[in-house]
Amino acid sequence: MPAAARRWLPPGALAVLCAGLLIGAPLAAHEAHPAAPPARQLPAPGSYALPPLRAAPDGLVRDEQGKVRPLHELLAGRIVVLSFIYTRCADGAGCPMASYTLSQAAGRLAKSGELGSRVAFLSLSFDPAHDSPEVLAAYAGHFQKPGIDWRFMAADPPSMGQLLGAYRQDVVKGGDDASLAHTLRVFLIDAAGQIRNEYTAGFLDAGLLATDVQTLALETARKAETPPRPSPASTGTGDPRAGYQSGAYRSGSRALLARQGVPLALAARLAAGEPGLPAMPGPLPDAAQIALGRRLFFDRRLSHNNTLSCASCHVPEQGFTSNELATPIGIEGRSVRRNAPTLLNVGFLPRLFHDSRENRLEQQIWAPLLAFNEMGNPAIGYVLDKIAGLPEYATAFDGSPPTMETLGAALAAYQRSLIAGDSPFDRWRGGEETALPPAALRGYALFTGKAGCSGCHLAAPDGPLFTDQLWHNTGIGYRQSMIDRPAAEAAVTVGPGLSLPVSARDRAASSIEPVNDLGRYEVTGDPADRWRFRTPGLRNVALTAPYMHDGSLPDLAAVVAFYNAGGVPNEGLDARIRPLNLDATERAELLAFLESLTGGSVDALVKDAWAAPIGDHRAR
Amino acid sequence: MKHVTSARWPRLFALALGLVATLPAAADETCVSPYMKRLTGQEDFMYIWTLGALGMGDEQDKLVTVDVQPNSKTYGKVIHSVSVGGRNEAHHSGFTDDRRFLWAGGLDSSNIFIFDVYTDPAKPKLVSTITDFVAATGGIVGPHSFYALPGRMLITGLSNNQDHGGRTGMAEYTNEGEYITTHWMPTDDQLGGAVKAGKLADGYGYDVRAMPRLNVMLTSSFTGWNNYMMNLGKMMADGEAMKRFGNTVAVWDLHTRKPLKVFDVPGAPLEIRCAWNEKHDYCFTTTALTSQIWLIHRDSKGEWQAQSVAAIGDPKKIPLPVDISIAADDSTLWVNTWNDGMARLFDISDPFKPKQIYEKQIGAQVNMVSQSWDGKRVYFTSSLLANWDKTEGPEGDLQFFKAYAWDGKALKPSFSVNFIKEKLGRAHQMTLGARAMSAGAPIDRPATTGLATLGK
Repeated sequence: MPAAARRWLPPGALAVLCAGLLIGAPLAAHEAHPAAPPARQLPAPGSYALPPLRAAPDGLVRDEQGKVRPLHELLAGRIVVLSFIYTRCADGAGCPMASYTLSQAAGRLAKSGELGSRVAFLSLSFDPAHDSPEVLAAYAGHFQKPGIDWRFMAADPPSMGQLLGAYRQDVVKGGDDASLAHTLRVFLIDAAGQIRNEYTAGFLDAGLLATDVQTLALETARKAETPPRPSPASTGTGDPRAGYQSGAYRSGSRALLARQGVPLALAARLAAGEPGLPAMPGPLPDAAQIALGRRLFFDRRLSHNNTLSCASCHVPEQGFTSNELATPIGIEGRSVRRNAPTLLNVGFLPRLFHDSRENRLEQQIWAPLLAFNEMGNPAIGYVLDKIAGLPEYATAFDGSPPTMETLGAALAAYQRSLIAGDSPFDRWRGGEETALPPAALRGYALFTGKAGCSGCHLAAPDGPLFTDQLWHNTGIGYRQSMIDRPAAEAAVTVGPGLSLPVSARDRAASSIEPVNDLGRYEVTGDPADRWRFRTPGLRNVALTAPYMHDGSLPDLAAVVAFYNAGGVPNEGLDARIRPLNLDATERAELLAFLESLTGGSVDALVKDAWAAPIGDHRAR
Repeated sequence: MKHVTSARWPRLFALALGLVATLPAAADETCVSPYMKRLTGQEDFMYIWTLGALGMGDEQDKLVTVDVQPNSKTYGKVIHSVSVGGRNEAHHSGFTDDRRFLWAGGLDSSNIFIFDVYTDPAKPKLVSTITDFVAATGGIVGPHSFYALPGRMLITGLSNNQDHGGRTGMAEYTNEGEYITTHWMPTDDQLGGAVKAGKLADGYGYDVRAMPRLNVMLTSSFTGWNNYMMNLGKMMADGEAMKRFGNTVAVWDLHTRKPLKVFDVPGAPLEIRCAWNEKHDYCFTTTALTSQIWLIHRDSKGEWQAQSVAAIGDPKKIPLPVDISIAADDSTLWVNTWNDGMARLFDISDPFKPKQIYEKQIGAQVNMVSQSWDGKRVYFTSSLLANWDKTEGPEGDLQFFKAYAWDGKALKPSFSVNFIKEKLGRAHQMTLGARAMSAGAPIDRPATTGLATLGK
């Protein structure tokens, strides 16, 4: 050892290092305490996957006869357990322990007797000056098992250094006292030369290693993963969490992988129209425009930091809105103050947004793309340049870079294609008498009669959309601006069947100030328009919870209860909103009617959406 | 070697000896992967993965290095900072098993930043950024825990790219930064062979810890992008959003990565810390919303069980337990409660009956806790999530890194760094570094620079 090193390294430290760095962990701990619970069972060979990690690096080694050969020649065509050793590490807990565990694995494999020449063990010494073929042969004799080809070789510098580096062996020459501290790694390499597992020597488990070898041996060809059973459900959140506030709640979560996309011919479907709907104002987009728009709609790269697509807030299976949020969350988590409207049948709307400030879908897209609290892009040109630079869109816009107009047209095209009629109500109107259950029929009578809903949610004879496309003050906005004060304590759900009161102080500790929303007034500046919001259509309304412009009502029952109570009195309250005196039966009938407005093809639209690729950032 | 001073060898020796003396144990320093090289002596550096804040300094996420070596002239000072670009919702970080690289994730962007802490541990260098984590993994959003396995990193997710909800999975990468595979968390319709111990399976994710000697792995469950990115006050007012928290802990076969059992652990179980002693077949987790310590343990028949074993503070006040840290001898557990800024120490010598034995307010809020292997030095940071953090508090108590000495009875302040005054941002995850584990360390010099090609 160099004198300089001796000065700071305490006596015996290298021996300690040898043991420590080589093993650095429990010795086959599952065998360590007899009083422990029953030993675990080994997994069945072939019952799990060992995905390839990387190609096994090559290098020159010196075989038993002293001949220098490429490592790959020794690996070829066989499953190989490759370890790195040096025989001078004489500490009982060092290399010999790892070699002993390997020997146990070899023994297990020999016993199973089926693998024969398909498996080989190879131990490479990185201490060629000492580990001559004779030394290695003597060492090997302690560990080899009959029936398993286990060879012991060495590598000479500089190949040794390259191999150690390529296999990430951490080695330090300790000097002339025969200590070579290193972190020992063991590799499982398949017949095609791919590393399939990597082990730290201190955690080597003979049983698991042997099982891994058998697993590779059972693998004739790498099987494609079996796709999971498709889920029958295509609408709703991943787990509706119905009854979550009850202690009896049982989860009903669905796997994302169980989604099965089924593309629709959206253009043809749009051209044909849907029973019950009016004609879509023309001109209609073609299939290519719709396909491009669909790709863009699901592309998260359309936001400044690649995290949000249009579909992030208009989630297909959540009624093309967001069932899990009162109001959406924009870029970097910024709060958006209004509920995301559904995009089903959005092509029929002459004006857009809850305050109707926009008049064409083609233009509307720029508001969310550029809003600081939505997709957060810094400029129109930035968006266009970014899309132009994405390989998926290289030829998409007829070979030209996208423009404000063509990008708008594409996104509008997909949104226009989201028509969803053919509801039970439509079928009933079409003459199918049994399409509506009696309760829904009575609900329709209330809707157009006693409850007066159709005063604003027009049930026009020529394909009703259930909106007058105008703005009304229901008092929801007024209440938020003028009445609401934070409750001293509010109940907050903290788990299934569990809620706790949280003080106003705690709720406000990290809270932004509530944002005012004056509705249509913000567009016109007319005091008469304060707290007026656009009448939403009611088609597919059962799919689009939560409700109202601020998502403040959780379900349709709450909406019916709100109107039944006459809204929130204020000077601008729409004259049609008054206490309705609906009894429980009538309220249930109204709900039954609203639930009959769900289109028969929403399911297909959702599955089509699932077939669209999600645009995530990709490395170049 | 010529730079080595004679004062260093006791520390090196402690490092080396620690690797042997604590053989049965696995890894804050007491909370890292057992597969990882362990630092048992005096740490030299603290790497603090820090969230950039709008309007503060350069506004972007950064890895801040603080000198924590008491003998150093710059002790207690920020000695280095690497800005990574953007606000990614910097959250957790973890070393590769050889402790050469620190992987640090962003819950928003899903970017993963890989720093070389080996070549010069005083100046971590950003050598590689994984920017396609979502695409590569098949849709996992929000890389959370970075857990070292032999030659690879296991990365838990929090969300997905389809609905930004809580359903998610775990991904494996090689130490070189190559994607290997994805494991989705068990849902009711795809339990993957697991059994439900109770009524719940949500497919949510958060933390992961492994016990190699038992061949098991545990995962916990938090919430999806929508909620962790949302303003906390807004979220508490949103009844639907509050239903979207995880309520499960899953036990997995570590080797095959297949889920075995899903437990009901209501109220967002977060960090998992496993006992070190080889006769202690248990791990702890704490629930953020319901403020309970849960024990996940292997019973005398070898079956895994889960039970709530203690309340943390007054659960009715939602103290919001966040990070926890187990002592190397399994005797105590630090539990931080974010909402009241308290560090609480529990005696867990009877794991079925944890008892709080000490508490101290660290700041207006407190999130992470890291302790040295011997438990004598305890470090705290403030930030939980950008949009959950408190906005008002005493000077120096809002965003900070604070170091204390623990003498078995009380925490005594050593120093603190005010992250607002220093214009750094919000201090989050801490990891400990040491010169003794670096390329320049004489006992641990690399034979080659195999991994240094990572950044290419």
